[in-house]
Formats: sequence, C-alpha cells, structure tokens
Amino acid sequence: MLEHLGPELFNGLVLGAFYAIVAIGLSLIMNLTGTINMAHGSFMTLAGYLAFAMISRGTSFWFALLVAPLLTVIVGIVVERTLIRPLYKREPFYSLLLTFGLSLVAEEVFHLIWGANGVPLSPPASLSGTVQLGFMSFPAYRLFIAAALVVAIVALALFLTRTRFGLRLRAAVQDTEMIAALGTNTQVLYMVNFGLGIFLAGIAGVLAAGLLGLSPTSGNALLMPAFVTVIIGGMGSLFGSIAGGLLIGFAISLTTLFIPAASEVSMYVLMAIVLLIRPRGLFGEEGIFG
Amino acid sequence: MTPALRTALVIGGLLALAPLVLPLVHLDVSIVSEVLLFAIAAMSVNLLLGYTGLPAFGNAAFFGLGSYGAALSIKYAHVHFIEAVLVGTLAGLVGGLILGPFLLRRRGIYFGLLAIAFGQVFYFVAYRFTNVTGGEDGMNFARPYVGFPSAHFSLNEMSFYYVALAIYLGIVALFSVVAVSPFGRTLVAIRQNEVRVRYLGINTDRFIFVALLISSTIAGLGGAMFALLINFAYPLTLDWHQSGDFVLIMILGGAGMIWGPLVGATIFVIGKDIISTITPLWQIFLGALFIACVLGFPKGILGSIAALRDRRALARSSASETPEAPAPLSRGTT
Repeated sequence: MLEHLGPELFNGLVLGAFYAIVAIGLSLIMNLTGTINMAHGSFMTLAGYLAFAMISRGTSFWFALLVAPLLTVIVGIVVERTLIRPLYKREPFYSLLLTFGLSLVAEEVFHLIWGANGVPLSPPASLSGTVQLGFMSFPAYRLFIAAALVVAIVALALFLTRTRFGLRLRAAVQDTEMIAALGTNTQVLYMVNFGLGIFLAGIAGVLAAGLLGLSPTSGNALLMPAFVTVIIGGMGSLFGSIAGGLLIGFAISLTTLFIPAASEVSMYVLMAIVLLIRPRGLFGEEGIFG
Repeated sequence: MTPALRTALVIGGLLALAPLVLPLVHLDVSIVSEVLLFAIAAMSVNLLLGYTGLPAFGNAAFFGLGSYGAALSIKYAHVHFIEAVLVGTLAGLVGGLILGPFLLRRRGIYFGLLAIAFGQVFYFVAYRFTNVTGGEDGMNFARPYVGFPSAHFSLNEMSFYYVALAIYLGIVALFSVVAVSPFGRTLVAIRQNEVRVRYLGINTDRFIFVALLISSTIAGLGGAMFALLINFAYPLTLDWHQSGDFVLIMILGGAGMIWGPLVGATIFVIGKDIISTITPLWQIFLGALFIACVLGFPKGILGSIAALRDRRALARSSASETPEAPAPLSRGTT
C-alpha cells in the first residue's frame, strides 16, 4: 500500500490546489460584499462547457483555457450587476438564497443544452503522457494543472499586493465607506472583485473538466470542499485558503488510500477539529463577520 | 377571544375540512400531508432565521436524521408508528446536540457557511454506509401499525393527514407561546443586536443553543413523519438543496410570521406537484422562484400583506388626525 503513497499524495496536492483556487474566489467575493456565492460551482461548470464547445468546434485547448474563463467572467459580471447588486444593502442571506436559485437554474440549463450525462473534454496530446521526475513518474496533465494553479494564485497575490487597484480592494474589505469617501468608485470595485473571483473559478472549471469530468453538477461537487476550505483556512486570508485547500486535499487522498469509506467525511472531521481549537480558522482574522 | 386565536381556529378548521374539497381539484390527500410536514420543517428554520436571525441553511440535516431515525428503527427494531416518530424526533435532537457546539462558534454568514458544511456530513454518511442505509437508493419499508398494548390499528392516508395536522397545530401553539415568552423575546433581541443583549449579562450562546435544539427537534419530527408518509427514507432529504427549499418556503411565506411556513409550503409543494406533471423543468421554476422571491418580495407573502396593512392603518390614523392638527405638519407624511 505504501508504494501508492507518493502518487496519492500528489493527487491530493492537485485536488487541494483546486479547492484552494475555488475557495480564494469565494473568499474574495465573501469578504468584500458578504455574499456567499452558491452559484460559484455553476460558473465553473459554465467555463468547462464553454471550453468544451470551443474545442469541439476546432479551437485549441490553450485558446479555450484562456477565452472560456473570460466569457464566463462576462456572464458573471452581468449577473452581479443585474441580480446581486440590488442585494448589497440587504442582509447577506438574501444573496445566498439568490445565488442558490441561480445555481438551480444553471444546472437545468446545462442539462438542456449539453445533456444529463457527462461530456468528454480531453487535455491536449502534449499533456497526455507522464513525466519522469527521478523517483517517480507523474501524469503530465496533473503536473500542468498544479503549475497553472500556482501561477494563477501567485498572479492574484501580486495583483492584490502590488497594484493600486489591489490595494484599494484590500482597503475596501476593511472599510468600504472610508474608501468611498476617499473618492474610489466602490461599485467598480465590487464588479471587478466579483469578476476576479469568477475568473479563478473559470480557470479551475476548465482545468477540472479535463481531469474530473464535465457534467451539469460537476462544478457543484467542488463547491462544498471549497466552503470547508474557507472555514478551515479562515475567512479573508489568501494564504489560509491555500493552506486549507492543501490540507483537505491531503486528508482526502490519505483517507481514500487507507479508509476509502471515510474519504468525504474526513474534511468535515478536519473542519470540526479546527473550529474547536481556533474558531476563526487557521489564518483568519478575528472579527470578520463575527 | 383574541384575534390570533380566532385566526388559528379558522385556519385549523379550514385544514380539517380540506380533505373534503381535494377531490374537486384533483389533489391527493397525501399532498396536503406533505404541505403540513414541509411547513413544520420550514417552521424549524423560522425559529432560527426568522426569529433569531441565524441563517439556518443546514436544517435538512435534522429533517433527514428524523427520516432515517424512523426508517432505521422500523427496519431493524420493528417498532410501531408512534415509537418510530419518537425515535426520528430524538434523532433530530441528537443531531442538534452534536452540531450545536460547532455552529455556535460563529455568527452571521459564517454561521450559514458552517450550517451548510456540517449539515452535509450526514448526507455523506447515509450515502456511504450502503449496507445499513441503502446508500443512494434509500430504504423503503411498510408503514407500521399504531400499536397500543390493547389494540393495533393502521393509518390510511386520511387518518395520517389528521395526525400530521394535529402535530402541525401543536407546533403552531408551541410557537405562539414561545414567541411571546421572555425566551422568544430574547431571541428576537439577539437578532436585532446580539452585542447589546450580551452587555445586559445574558449568555446569548445558551439561548441560541436552546433555539437550535428546539429547531432540530421540530425538524426531526417533520422528517420522521415525512418518511412515514412516503414509506421511504433517502439521502437527498439530508442534502443542502433540501435545506435551501426549507429556507425558500419560510421566506416565501414571510420570515418570522407564524403562518408563513404554511403559506410557503402550500405554494411550494402544490406548485411543484402541478408543474412537475406539465414539464420536467421544475428546477428552473424553482430557481426562478428563489430569484423572484429575493428580488421581488423579500418580506414574503404574509410579510407583504402585513406591511400593506400597516401602511393603510398609518394612513387612516394620520387622516383622522388631520382635522385636529394644525394643517401643514401632518400633510404628506405618509
């Protein structure tokens, strides 16, 4: 059994990176506007299907990987401006309820257009083999996913810390009114922030479609672990989401190896332990949303 | 007789007579039983969300525990009807006892997040332990007899309905007592400003925990009765989509209103029944209903009616005051 440990841990790493990137998107949106975006998984699925539609019409995988998330962002921003924006001044659970309704509609629409069964989205031939790394061999596509997700996360971190816009975004999380009083258009912040979260979801959605399959509910399957990631890592912490995602990824891969029946439950156990020891999450800040 | 009691008697009377009217509109009596049981589940959400202001998006966990509690006790212990309902109700309470200490750790949307996430644990347990729970296929059973030491009798759909109605009205009575009790007032105060309540020296955690236990017990009771209605328990009753439906039912009827869940459940269950026979796209309608409800009338049906009535009353009272008041002051205030 131990010879499976290396590959299984690597799978956990890739899975954890997915959870992390979805959780970061969720966390961005939740932090600034208090919206729990239950439709986050639907945006992932949408990006996957858009990529599938493009690739099956002859575009390259790389083109789809870039363009499908961007198209999803456009849909996301339209949704945010028209449906979610009116709710910013209301209690947060209204936006939760609304995005929940959206995800129900989206699931059925995917079902109507692309059918209930999964569709295949295969990664390009250049990524189909395995890579020898001395001590063991890795599937190239998984290695690529891990690399792509790391690049996306680093790019986001640089954007948030090194650009003026990122600075304003982080300041707005702390005190939206003050930022508005200093002359920043907060509605633009909300819009771009939402788009950013959806863009991350879109990239993850396309990459996941090639690995975990694509069906009307495939994005939602990643949503629940992402929630748990946010809780474990702590709300409002980029680093927390990464650490939380990886922890869950490893926990799931290890339980899959040793106690398969408990693979889904393991992350909840982890969450329960973290909550008992540190209610705000591993890297969460005290006082954000109680 | 107070107006509230009169309303209760009228609604109770109408519900008692409902089975007579149903054949005229081609509805089965079991569908009205379902309305009542979903109303019970939505009332459990109402206590936490409507009164206390906690986004209880995980109450399906308790509802489903009630379902499985009843189903498992029938299948493995061969208990009778009343015992099965009690076991299910108890399962809901135990669920609340287990999850409470975790859920109490946070408030606001974080509470909602925890409720969704922890609620899902039981779903996976039911889904995974196939040899006990039947896994994805669920478990069916024959509805047991109501057994007393002296006699046994079986419940048909009609008598089941009256049992459900009695339970529902009992819970309404409980709610109307709780709502005006110091305990209920404290819950509402917690919704309005928990920090202030704490400054008064009140341990709000304890109040919320008790509210959660009442809520989970009621949800368990509803779930147990639901399993006995359809003679079936299945994992999706534990799923967060089910929790979402309960929240929608509560909001649709009117948050914090005692008859809100009944109004919401009537529209939800009967609407689902009718639309599902016409088109397979019920889920799109459901999603649209969520969106329309949030954007269009967040106060729900009864909440909107109450707001309208308040405004009328205000207009009337200010209109009757105008002759006495020196004109310009009260003009245009409504």
